[in-house]
Amino acid sequence: MIEVTALAKSFIGRHGRARTVVHAVTDVSFRAQDGRITALLGPNGAGKTTTLRVLATLMRADRGTASVGGFDVASDPVSVRAQLGVLSDARGLYTRLTARENIAYYANLRRVPAIEWSERLARLAELLDMRDLLDRRTDGFSGGERMKVALARALIHDPRHLILDEPTNGLDVTSTRALRRLLRHLRDEGKCLLFSTHIMQEVEQLCDEIVIVAHGRTIAHGTATALCADAGAANLEDAFVRLALEAGERGAQREQA
Amino acid sequence: MTIAWTIFQKELADAVRDRRTWTIALVISLLSGPAVFLLVSNFVSGVEEKVAKREVVIEHAEYAPTLVNFLQRAGATIVPAPKDYREKLRSGSLGNAVLVPPEDFEQRLERGEQVDVEAVFDDSHDKAHAVVSASIRLLSGFNRESGMQRLLARGVGPQLLAPLAVREINLAPSQARGAQLLFVVPWAALMVAVFGALSVAIDVTAGERERGSLEPLLGNPLSTGALVLGKWGVVMTYSVAIVVLTMTGFMVSMRFVTSETLSALMQLQWREVGIFVALLLPFAALMAALNMLAATFGRSYKEAQTYVSYIAMAVQFSAIIPVFLTVRDAPWQVFVPAVAQLTVLMRALRGDPVSVPDLVIPAAVCIGATVVCLALQARLLRRESIVFARS
Repeated sequence: MIEVTALAKSFIGRHGRARTVVHAVTDVSFRAQDGRITALLGPNGAGKTTTLRVLATLMRADRGTASVGGFDVASDPVSVRAQLGVLSDARGLYTRLTARENIAYYANLRRVPAIEWSERLARLAELLDMRDLLDRRTDGFSGGERMKVALARALIHDPRHLILDEPTNGLDVTSTRALRRLLRHLRDEGKCLLFSTHIMQEVEQLCDEIVIVAHGRTIAHGTATALCADAGAANLEDAFVRLALEAGERGAQREQA
Repeated sequence: MTIAWTIFQKELADAVRDRRTWTIALVISLLSGPAVFLLVSNFVSGVEEKVAKREVVIEHAEYAPTLVNFLQRAGATIVPAPKDYREKLRSGSLGNAVLVPPEDFEQRLERGEQVDVEAVFDDSHDKAHAVVSASIRLLSGFNRESGMQRLLARGVGPQLLAPLAVREINLAPSQARGAQLLFVVPWAALMVAVFGALSVAIDVTAGERERGSLEPLLGNPLSTGALVLGKWGVVMTYSVAIVVLTMTGFMVSMRFVTSETLSALMQLQWREVGIFVALLLPFAALMAALNMLAATFGRSYKEAQTYVSYIAMAVQFSAIIPVFLTVRDAPWQVFVPAVAQLTVLMRALRGDPVSVPDLVIPAAVCIGATVVCLALQARLLRRESIVFARS
């Protein structure tokens, strides 16, 4: 289970010479259960990536707490990383190594026995339809091919929790379908999946739970049907627009006050 | 430690497959030795030859048969000056002085007058120095001889004119002569340690940021200390390989050096090679760590190149310092990296004794600084601005 409570994080931004404080996340709270796919849905700049980076222990929050599998990200980052698989927006492969070597590197860094990871890789390659890629150098791989290698790399230690940052960005239909197939498979294995996106269809097709984030805050949390009922909307897109709009107005009022 | 080893293996495989890295390494290490030796030995033997030949260039030798006679007795070969000798002197293609006696040389000499003889040369060409002064020394010889004859003719003892009889006794061991020139050899070796593994140092740091592979990498449960150690190991391995290759190149080229003066000038036997290696390895370790630290600030390969070029420049400049110091081998020199290495290497080449502290102190300074650099880098890799800021 992944739990986030009242998370806040700001950065120092630069406007020419002047320094300004950018509040990327001001108040985000949610819970992602095991055996479910939870979406962090929000427009660009809502604070999704920052939230995921805090969960991946690569950023420290200013306020609030976050935990993965019961381990706190701030006080026990190594335990968090040990049971977390992350597909970040930086896919970053080593182009002079083959796909298999890229994946093996991470398996070795996590001290996964060779027999274990090679079996797992064979299964992942099957699910992601990437057997032909394994022994090619990753130089010149397409976006979809890179995503597949990066995803297999993130899953090579069989983590209980998986975080994906905009996984379908720049993917074609077949790659997207392969990804969806794999995520459903992982959910059925009882894993906790959390991913960020701004694409509605993806959420409707795939997710069990939806967390809507806008202006650095959680503004709604629930299943697609529940969210539609709350907003009095016919579909998720309308519900999202209505909820995000209301939140924007509330935010403006708060700033005036 | 296991983690550092895993990182080392991966980075080594990665670097070995990088053709760019290999080409630079091979070109630098295999060519620098022979190139340096070729230049130095060509220089030395060129000077040697001319001085040994004792050529004297005279315009209108027919005006001064007495002078020509003296010069020939002194073993010199008379070479008539080419027409455009001033041009040739300026361009350096004529590396000697041209003596120009006046038309009435003999008449004035006979009358016991002072005769003006011009010696035309261009001392902006290093090679000419030795030859020009040899020619001018010959003129002084002529002066002395004819002066003495004139005094004797008047019944005066020639000692009167020379109250001092100066005998030169040069204490410099034979290798020390011209050693200033030979700083090129340790300097080249030092530069190899700086530049040899530069591309690897950048690739494992800024390259990782440029590819966007640093963020996922740090998501693994590993300490940045182990990460830095593994990467440094690879850069260091490269450096060592290149330093060893370069030294081999030096040794091999040394065999082909024909100039006896050069072989006498410079000691490069197994003892000296041992000293080179003992000094250069800790220095290479420091350069690997320092270049990696600087390159970590680069968001891309290109940006990192700018940062490391400051280091390269600083090393190049400080490595020249000992050459221009008036006090030879001041005690502080062994404490400053680059300066220390060059000072002690030059001392070894000159054939001066090299003590244990001469080797231990520079090594200790380098190793200490290496540890500091690696620790700083390990901390740096936890900084959000380094992990996430990409170009």
